[in-house]
Amino acid sequence: MSKQAPKARHAPAKVPGIYKTDSVRDVSESLNIINLSDIVASALASDVEYRIQQVVEEAARFMRHAKRTTLTTGDIDQALRVLNIEPLYGHFPYNPPTFRRALPFPQMQAAGPVYFIEDEEIEFDRVLREEKVTLPKGVTWTAHWLAVEGVQPLIPENPPAVPREIDPESAAAKHTSNASGSIFPPTPPSSDRPSPLQPAKQQPQQHIAVKQVLSSELQLYYARLTSSLLPPTSDFSKRTAALASLRHDAGLSPLLPYLVRWVGQGVVDALRSGSQNENDGRVLEVLLDVIGALLDNQTLGVEPYLHQLLPSIFSILLHSALPPSHAAQLRTTAAHILSHLLTHYSTTYPGLSTRIVKTLIVGLIGEGKSRSTREGAIRGLMGIGKEAVRQGLVKHQGAKIVGDECMPGESSSLVELVVEGFKLIHPPSLHPTPLNPDSGADASVIEELRAKLGNFFAERLIGDSAWARGILSDDAPDA
Amino acid sequence: MSAATPAASTPDGGSPSATSAPVPDSSKDVSSNADQLILEYLRARGLKTAEKAFLEELERKTSTADDKGKQPETPTSTTVSQEELVKQLAIFAQKPANPDQNALKDSSSVLQELSSTGTPQNIQNLISSIGQVGAEEILSLDPTDKHEGFRELESWVDGSLDMYRPEFRPILFPIFCHFYLDLVQQGLREAAQDFYTTFSSSLSTIHYSTLNHLSTITLPYHVQTDEVAQRFRTEKYTVRMSRSGFGLLVGWLTEGVGGEPVGSGEGFAGEKGRRGRAAVMRVVNNHLRFEVTSSATSSVSPRSWEESTGFLSSVVPQTNGSTTDATAFNQAKGDLKLGPAPIPEDLRTETERTLQDQAMVDHDPGARYDLHFARQAPPPGLVSPTLAELPPHPPMFKAIDVKREVEKIRDMRKRIRLDPTLLNSSGNSNANATTAQGAAARARALPSICAYTFHDVGEGVPCCEFSPDTSLLAAGFSESYIRLWSLKGEKLKGLRSDFQSNSIRDSSSLNKIREKDGSTTRKLIGHSGPVYSVSFDPVGGSATSPRYLLSASADATARLWSLDTMTNVVAYRGHQNPVWDVKWSPMGIYFATASRDRTARLWSTDRTSALRIYAGHLSDVNAVGFHPNSLYLGTASSDCTARLWDVQRGACVRVFYKHDDIVSTLTFSPDGRYLATAGEDLAIRLWDLGSGKCVKKMTGHTASIYSLAFSAESSLLVSGGADWTVRCWDVKAAGGSRTKTRENGTLTNGATEEHPPEKEETESNETTDLLATFPTKRTPVINVQFTPRNLCLVAGPYLSPETR
Repeated sequence: MSKQAPKARHAPAKVPGIYKTDSVRDVSESLNIINLSDIVASALASDVEYRIQQVVEEAARFMRHAKRTTLTTGDIDQALRVLNIEPLYGHFPYNPPTFRRALPFPQMQAAGPVYFIEDEEIEFDRVLREEKVTLPKGVTWTAHWLAVEGVQPLIPENPPAVPREIDPESAAAKHTSNASGSIFPPTPPSSDRPSPLQPAKQQPQQHIAVKQVLSSELQLYYARLTSSLLPPTSDFSKRTAALASLRHDAGLSPLLPYLVRWVGQGVVDALRSGSQNENDGRVLEVLLDVIGALLDNQTLGVEPYLHQLLPSIFSILLHSALPPSHAAQLRTTAAHILSHLLTHYSTTYPGLSTRIVKTLIVGLIGEGKSRSTREGAIRGLMGIGKEAVRQGLVKHQGAKIVGDECMPGESSSLVELVVEGFKLIHPPSLHPTPLNPDSGADASVIEELRAKLGNFFAERLIGDSAWARGILSDDAPDA
Repeated sequence: MSAATPAASTPDGGSPSATSAPVPDSSKDVSSNADQLILEYLRARGLKTAEKAFLEELERKTSTADDKGKQPETPTSTTVSQEELVKQLAIFAQKPANPDQNALKDSSSVLQELSSTGTPQNIQNLISSIGQVGAEEILSLDPTDKHEGFRELESWVDGSLDMYRPEFRPILFPIFCHFYLDLVQQGLREAAQDFYTTFSSSLSTIHYSTLNHLSTITLPYHVQTDEVAQRFRTEKYTVRMSRSGFGLLVGWLTEGVGGEPVGSGEGFAGEKGRRGRAAVMRVVNNHLRFEVTSSATSSVSPRSWEESTGFLSSVVPQTNGSTTDATAFNQAKGDLKLGPAPIPEDLRTETERTLQDQAMVDHDPGARYDLHFARQAPPPGLVSPTLAELPPHPPMFKAIDVKREVEKIRDMRKRIRLDPTLLNSSGNSNANATTAQGAAARARALPSICAYTFHDVGEGVPCCEFSPDTSLLAAGFSESYIRLWSLKGEKLKGLRSDFQSNSIRDSSSLNKIREKDGSTTRKLIGHSGPVYSVSFDPVGGSATSPRYLLSASADATARLWSLDTMTNVVAYRGHQNPVWDVKWSPMGIYFATASRDRTARLWSTDRTSALRIYAGHLSDVNAVGFHPNSLYLGTASSDCTARLWDVQRGACVRVFYKHDDIVSTLTFSPDGRYLATAGEDLAIRLWDLGSGKCVKKMTGHTASIYSLAFSAESSLLVSGGADWTVRCWDVKAAGGSRTKTRENGTLTNGATEEHPPEKEETESNETTDLLATFPTKRTPVINVQFTPRNLCLVAGPYLSPETR
C-alpha cells in the first residue's frame, strides 16, 4: 500500500489549538468583555480554527485552478467571496505585508510575542516629487524546442541534461574513447529543479562541475614563472625575463586568475609574517613588479580582476611595518602602480578614482594610524595627482593631523613628504617673500594657514607668501 | 439490507456469514492440524517472524484452552453452530435502518442476549447494576473503549496473513473516522485529539486530505454542520471483501479470534476488549456496508480492495435497483455509441469534389491520395451514431465547413505518425537513445514538442490555449484579462467603434473600418475575476483561424469574444459560483461549462441561458470535455470521480470510480474509446468508455497534473504538470509498476535493465508505460496540446526563483 503511495505524506500533526485561547481573550477584551470563561474561550478558539480551515480549503481550490502551488492573498479573497464573507481589505499579493515583532512588555511577561503589520508612513511631498513608477513591460512569451523527435536538444532554454543511467558496457566504451563528459552542455547547473518531493533524487544532478581546463603548457609556464620570480631561487636576469614575459606575452589570460590569486596570497604572507627582514621586502618588490607587469600587458584584460589586485597594492602602500630598507622604495612603486592603474582604468570604472582617494584619505587622517601608513597614503595621493593631494592634505586637514604628531622643528621623511605634497599643489616661488604678520591681509592668510594646515606646517609656509596663498587660494574653488 | 448479518449484500444473495462461519477452535485436533498446515506454509514462505509469532500464539491458545477447561461457569462454546452465530450477530444488528440509533439501544434485549451467549459474569453484573440506563452509555461515553477497540482492530489487521491484509486495511479508515467523530460529538475533545494523533499516521498515505479536514473538527456543532462529517454520519461506507475475508472479520468481531490475530487475541478476553470490540461492531453495523465478492482473495490485486471502498451509494447514482457498484451501474446503462460522428452526405460529396479538383492542380504528388484517406472505414468495434442522434446543427453547410473537412483529410495524410509500440516491441529500452536503432525507434514513437514559455506573468496564468490552426495563442490571467497573441506575427486588428452600420456593403468596406494600427498581441478585458479557462471555436478547424473565443472566470460568467471585432459579444450567466472550465463541442455552436456549484451546463452560443444542467457530482466540477462525436460529455470532479453524461438527455451514463483525490483534468482519445483523467493523487487513469472500467493507472508525476493530450492516433498520451515536466505515456502498453517486474525476476521491459537499483527505489512510482520525461526550466506546464499533424505544443509560465 505504501509502495503505491507516491510520496510519504505525514499525517498533519494535531497541534491542539493552533489558534490559542489567549487570542480569543485578547479579542474579547478589546470588545469590553472582561470575564470570558475558559470553556467559552476554548470553544471559540476551536471554532475559529475550524473556520480558518474552511477558508483555507476553499482558497486552495482557487489556487489549484489558477495552476499555482503557492497560496496567495488573492485566493483567500476569492474564497471569502464565495463563502459570502466580507473580504479582508488591504492585502495584495503584489505587496505582501511585513509583520514585525513588537518589543516585549516588561510589565506583562506572560503576554508572549506580539506582531504587528508595518504601516509605512509616506510623506505626501515625497510622493509628489518622486518619479512616476514605470509600468512593467507586460507578459511576453518565447518558444523553443522541448523535444525534437523524442530527444531533448541541449539548448540553454532546456535544463541541463540529466546524466543518464547508461549500462556498464556503453559506459566502459565511453571511458575508453575518452569522450565522457563532453556530451553535456557547458551551461551552468540551473537553479534548483522543482520536485520538493524528491530532493534526494534531484540533488546529484546539481553538481555538474564546470571545469576550466588549463593546458599543460600553461601549467608548466605558471610553475616556472612563479619559481623564477620569487627571490630564493631566482637570479636577476631570470626575473627580468619573467617580468618581461608577463608584460608582453599574449595568451596568458587563462592564467590570470591564478596569477592574481598568487600575488594576493604572496602579499598577505609577506606582510603577515611581519618580520621586516630583507627577504620580505624583496618579495614584495617582486610582487609589485608583477602587478605592474600585469597591468602593462595589453592582451590580458585585467579589468575584472582589479578589485582583487587593489587590496594588494593598498596593503603594501599603507602597511605600517614594511621592511625599513625597502619601505620608501616599495611605497613609491606602489604609488606609481596606483597612478598607472588609475590613468588606464578610471574611464572604464567611473567610481574607481573616488574609491581609491577615499581609501587613501582614510589612511591619512584616520585615528591611530602609524606614521608609515600616513606616509604611504601621502605617497599614494601624490601618485594620483594634485587634486588628490589637496583633498587629503588641505581639505581633509591631513597636514594638520600630521603636523600635530610631529615635534616642533622636526625634519623627518614624513615632513619632507608633506612639503613635497605642498609643492605639488602649488610650486614655491623662486624668491620667497615672507608673510607679514602685521599687515592685515597677510595676517588673515596666516590665520587661515594655521586653521587649515596646523601650526607646524603653517610655520613652514609662512616664509613664502606666494606659495602659501597659492595653496590656500587654489583650494578655494574646491571648497 | 437484511438485518440478519452485519450488512452482507452478496450478489448471489446467500448469507456469507452463515456459510463461512469461522471455526476458530472447533476442536483441538482439527485446529492443531490446521496449525500444523499453517506452520508449514509459513516455513515454506520463509516468514520467520510470522512463524515465531504463530508458535507463541499457539502456546497461548492451548493455555487459555486449559483455563477454559478449569472454569465451567464461563461456557464459551467450543463449537459455534451456524444458528448460534447468527443469533450472536443479530443482537448487534437490531435496528440497522436508523443509523443514529444504536444496535444496543434496547437494553433489556441486550441483557437477555448477552446472558444467553455467555458473557463473563462481571459484565452481566455491570449491566444489571446499570439497569435501564442501557449499555450504550457505557459503550459510548468511555473514550478509552474506542481507543482500545481501534488499537485491537489495527493490530488484528496488521497481524493478519499477508493475503488478507490488503482486504482488511480499507475498513480501518471509516472506523477511524467514525470513532473520531463520535468522540468529538460527545464533546470529548482531548480524547478525540489523542485518538487522532495516535492512529492517523498509518492512514495518512491515501486519505491525507480527508484526515486533514477531520482534524479541524473539534466541536459537536461542527460535526453537525460539516459536509464531510455528515456524509460519514448519514451514508453507508462501502467496503469490498472476499467471502473468506468477511468470514474472518465476522469471527473476530464476535469472538475476538479469526484470521489469526497475532498477539492481539488476548486483549479481547478482558471486559475492556469486549467493549472496544462492541464499539467497532457498532460502527460496522450502522455505517458500513459490505460488498462480498465471490472471487478468491488472491485473484484481486491488493490495490483494488482499497479502491472499491468509499461512499459508493451516493457517488454512484441510484437507478431502478439498489446497485451501488460502479461497474453494475455502468453495465446497467447499456452500450454507448462511441464511433466517429457521421458527416452529412452533401458535405462529404462536396469535400471529395474539392479534393479531386485540388489534386489536379496541386504540385504535391501526395495530394491524389487524399481521397483514399477520406474514405477510411470507421474503427471496428464501435457503433457510430446517426446524424439524427447528434445535437441539432444547421442543415446547410457553409464554405468554411468544406474547407475544414478538406484540411482535416490533408492533415491525416501529412501527419507525423507516432507509434510507441515500436519502442516496446523492438525490445529496446525506451530511453536507450545511444544506439542508432534505438534513436530511430524513439524518433518514430515520440513527438516533437514545442514549448511556449510565458515571462513576467504577475499573479499567474490559470489557462492558455492554442487555436486549432496554431495561428493564435490565448491566455487567461489571474488579473481578470485575457491576452491574445498571433503566433504568425500578423497584426490583430479589431474594428473601429465609430462606423455607420449602413455603410458596410461588402468585405472591402468592412476592411475600411478596421483599426489602422495593431500589434501582434491584444488584451481582452471584460471579466471581473481570474480567468480559469479559454477555448477557441473549432468550426474553422485547422483550415482558418477561429472567429470566436470562449472564456470562463471566477466571476461566475462565461464570455464569448468575437475575434473579428476583438470585443466581448455575450456574457453567459447562470452559474452561481466560479466557472472552472469551458469547452466548445467538437462541431461548434454548443459549449459546456463546469463550475464550483457542482454542475456542468450545456449552452448554445445563441442563447444566454443553459440548455442542459448536468447535476449529480458531490463536489466541484473541475473540468469538462466533449466526446469526439459530441454525443457525450465527460466531467471531472472533486468528489474523486469522473462521469460521462448523455449530452442530449442530460443523464449520467458512466461513473468512473475512483481516484484517490480530486480529479482535476480529463481528455478523450480522438478514436473515441478512452477517457484519460488526472488527479491530485498524481496519477493518470485511462478508462475504457464502453465498459466504464479503469484500463490502467499511470504514475510518475511528482506534483499536480495540469493538462493531458492524446496524439491524433490515440496511441500516445502527453501530460504536463506542476513538477515542471512534460511526460509521454504509451497508451497501449500494459503499464504496471517498475519494481514489480524486478521482484518477479523477469525483466519484461527493457526499461528496468538500465535503472540501477538505487534509482529504482526513488522512482518506484513510475510505471513502465512512461516513455519519456522532458523537464523544463522552472516552468509548470499548464497546457499540452497536439496539432492535427501531431506536433505537440506545451505552454507554461516561467517562475523566476526570486519572486516566490
